[in-house]
Amino acid sequence: MKLTRRAFATAGCALALAAGAGWAQDVPAGYPDDYAQLVEAAKSQGKVVVYTSTDIAQAQAMLDAFTQKYGIQVEYNDLGTNGAYNRAISEAAANQMGADIVWSSAMDLQMVLAADGYAETYASPETGNLPEWAVYQDQIYATTVEPIGIIYNTGAISEEEFPRTRADLIAYLNENRDKLRGKVATFDPEKSGTGFLHHTNDVEQTDNFWDLAKALGAVGVRTYSSSGSMRETVVSGENVMSINIIGSYALEWVQDSPNLGVAFGEDYTAAFSRLALLTKGAPHPDAGKLLIDFMLSHEGQSALAAGGLPSVRSDVTTGLNIDSLNERVGGSLKPIAVSEDLLTYMAPQKRVEFFREWNASIGK
Amino acid sequence: MTANSILAARASAGTGIPAPPPKIRHRSDAGLYRIIVIGLLAIAVMAPVGLIIYQSFLDGPFFSPRATLSFSAYSYVLTDPMFWKALWTTTVFAVGMVAIAVPLGGLLAFLLTRTDIRFKRTLEILVLVPMFISSIVLAFGYTVSVGPSGFVSMWMRSVFGFVPWNLYSLPGIILIAGLSHVPHVYLYVSAAMRNLPSDLEEAARTSGASIWQVSRDVTLPMVLPALIFAAALNLLLGFETFGIPLVLGDPNGILVLTTYIYKLTTLFGVPTYQLMAVVAVVLILITLPLVFFQRRLLRNSRRYAALGGKGARTTRLKLGTKGQTIALSIIGLWLFVSVVLPIGGITVRAFVSAWGQGISLWDHLTLANFDRMLSVPSLSRGIVNTLLLSVVGGAAAVFLYLLIGLAGHRNTGHSNTVLDYIVLLPRALPGLVVGLAFFWVFLFVPFLTPLRPTLIALFVAYMIVGLSYGLRLLQGTLIQVAPELEESARTTGATIGRTWRDVVIPIVRPGLAGAWALIMIIFLREYATGVYLMGAGTEVIGSLMVTLLQTGAMDTIAALAFISIIMTAAGLTLALRLGAKIHD
Repeated sequence: MKLTRRAFATAGCALALAAGAGWAQDVPAGYPDDYAQLVEAAKSQGKVVVYTSTDIAQAQAMLDAFTQKYGIQVEYNDLGTNGAYNRAISEAAANQMGADIVWSSAMDLQMVLAADGYAETYASPETGNLPEWAVYQDQIYATTVEPIGIIYNTGAISEEEFPRTRADLIAYLNENRDKLRGKVATFDPEKSGTGFLHHTNDVEQTDNFWDLAKALGAVGVRTYSSSGSMRETVVSGENVMSINIIGSYALEWVQDSPNLGVAFGEDYTAAFSRLALLTKGAPHPDAGKLLIDFMLSHEGQSALAAGGLPSVRSDVTTGLNIDSLNERVGGSLKPIAVSEDLLTYMAPQKRVEFFREWNASIGK
Repeated sequence: MTANSILAARASAGTGIPAPPPKIRHRSDAGLYRIIVIGLLAIAVMAPVGLIIYQSFLDGPFFSPRATLSFSAYSYVLTDPMFWKALWTTTVFAVGMVAIAVPLGGLLAFLLTRTDIRFKRTLEILVLVPMFISSIVLAFGYTVSVGPSGFVSMWMRSVFGFVPWNLYSLPGIILIAGLSHVPHVYLYVSAAMRNLPSDLEEAARTSGASIWQVSRDVTLPMVLPALIFAAALNLLLGFETFGIPLVLGDPNGILVLTTYIYKLTTLFGVPTYQLMAVVAVVLILITLPLVFFQRRLLRNSRRYAALGGKGARTTRLKLGTKGQTIALSIIGLWLFVSVVLPIGGITVRAFVSAWGQGISLWDHLTLANFDRMLSVPSLSRGIVNTLLLSVVGGAAAVFLYLLIGLAGHRNTGHSNTVLDYIVLLPRALPGLVVGLAFFWVFLFVPFLTPLRPTLIALFVAYMIVGLSYGLRLLQGTLIQVAPELEESARTTGATIGRTWRDVVIPIVRPGLAGAWALIMIIFLREYATGVYLMGAGTEVIGSLMVTLLQTGAMDTIAALAFISIIMTAAGLTLALRLGAKIHD
């Protein structure tokens, strides 16, 4: 399979070379007729620069496919969410924008970039293939849909025993306080933007988040700033469960980690997305547009899904897509929409209120 | 420091300094050279530091057109109870760390340089190992070995039924930080001790003093400057420690100033540079009195000159069988706790995919963690860049430190006061903040912008961050060259440049090799400084680990940590060999 694909690609390359510069680029169905010009312009720009928070391991397949298809190199800067944001606004202020694309899981920061005028408007021809909530004013595009879930140590709690709804989870925490004391983990919203997004989204979308927070406080919850470090503690048995972590990672982890189970609320499972935007003043704007289109295309989405990042398109068959994911988590997937609602909790007053209530609830 | 200043400094050093008029020779030797070097250094340090101070008085990012002058950042931080709590915890942490590291480091240096302790060559390498590892990884190594589910803890529980320690408590964190900083003290003190002539110790010994008395009454006073340097530096290190509190303290709500900075960002949703800057200014304010007291204590540096014109043959004190046993046991125990436990933890983690309760490590043995190193370009580039930066950059940095050290050597002018204060400033600041400030400097200073995407930007930032270590290490050695050696050279007609080149530098050469090894290690383990500066093509291992930590790719982090340990061990062995040859 791999071999044939490579052979095919090689043949394609050879063909392209043989045909020379005059060979017309195949414009995908639904793309405007002049798309070939964009491709040519992008190729002459030679490379595309991405500031991101996504580990290269997950993006590699997609980036390789892009480079193979267009011959454009991707300069991939994994800077973390705050790093990507910081570098983008600093460089913009110095008129030296280095990024063509900012691709970040901090949905709120991405929205701030757009609101503050750092994003370029570009209507991707792939828009029609995406759910309505996944596109914001032709500026921000959701490229993945990743459920927020719970991991637990199967040595401590069996799969049958594990609560299936939010209400059950709260009850379970309250009923097993002695067993769980100091052994429940969650994101620290004060230190992790991801955790903040997960928790505040729950506040808006559910009516029992504060009950959950109080139950967590009663078992002496321990707070972390990354999903990976929580995974480490749950696998080792240091913690029994970890709540509101990135479920797309968890679905990968359970395949090869012993003692690890993953659970999603059957009544409610939120999902976040990695958002891509084209920067204003991008050094390689056409290559940037091309990469955005590719990330959203069937091919790009398949490559991302193969890397463990479920697709926002329902027609992608590799890995999980938004529909099969919904099925997997029990039919209650509720993606966080790419909208100005994301700015709600950027208001200092809202944040302070949230933190005050959070700290009071967990007793810290 | 820019290429210009390097050239300027090299030109002036190489040509033996523009000959000063004979009549003003006495006190202001090479005055122009000193002022140029110190001036350039001051610019290199004050650019980022000044930017931070300026930023602290604004109410938004300094580059934002909407930012205005304001004390709002100060009033926010200074009225935030969390800040005061963090400051208190940090103080306890730093003082506790010094209280553990300085006596142990001093003792270790005494045993390894002044006595006939056995296995000396091996120990000299082993005792440095805790420095190899960036504290973030060190802390992580401990969780794998002695954390609640660590393999040592589980063994303890199965044998004794309980685990007598709690890694995630403030005392636990202080102990670990203290033990891991012992090598910092050791390096300073041993560099000073190695050059001490042994006649005084021998005299004391023949007059019937015990080893203990000799070390306390003879050796200790002579290495006091080095001990004070080491204590002051470690205090600063304690204030800016990030990795250990982050990994071990954070989950349980133990907050220090650096993790408080980290928290400020998320509290407001967007990075709040002005608040970070205020915390950085607080750290600067803590540093200044420390430097002031250090200067007072060391006012009369002539007292410590011991490496005179007279023969300086060192013979080593005999420990005896009982002494050997006790000394080796202490070192062995310390090494077990601060080397075997964390490195064991990291090594185990690098070669397994899972660990913990009810998990057989053998079942999860794998080499897959290392696969990525080859297949992911940024990781393999990171390894190469780190090597370049530490080996080549380390040597270049030592050269620059020597130039700066000479500018400060027997310098009684005002420029020396400036030097003393600016040297410790960057070390007092959290690496993350220094890195960010340098990022801005390279972004907004027009002629520097082409350097930003290159390793030179990282080198400059690293060189400034490592300044206090490197320079103090060189100064500690330079101070021991007795003035009569230099004076006799001058009397016979040598210029100051020639005196430095033919007298001072040859004498301190063993110290240079040692300094190179040290700086190499510092550059290898550095992680926070590069986070904002590195980009595609200039990745370094330490900062890669920090960004990977944000998503928690522990498999890759462990593999990178293991590689960096191997690299450092190899580099250090080589350097020690070189150093040893020069020394003999």
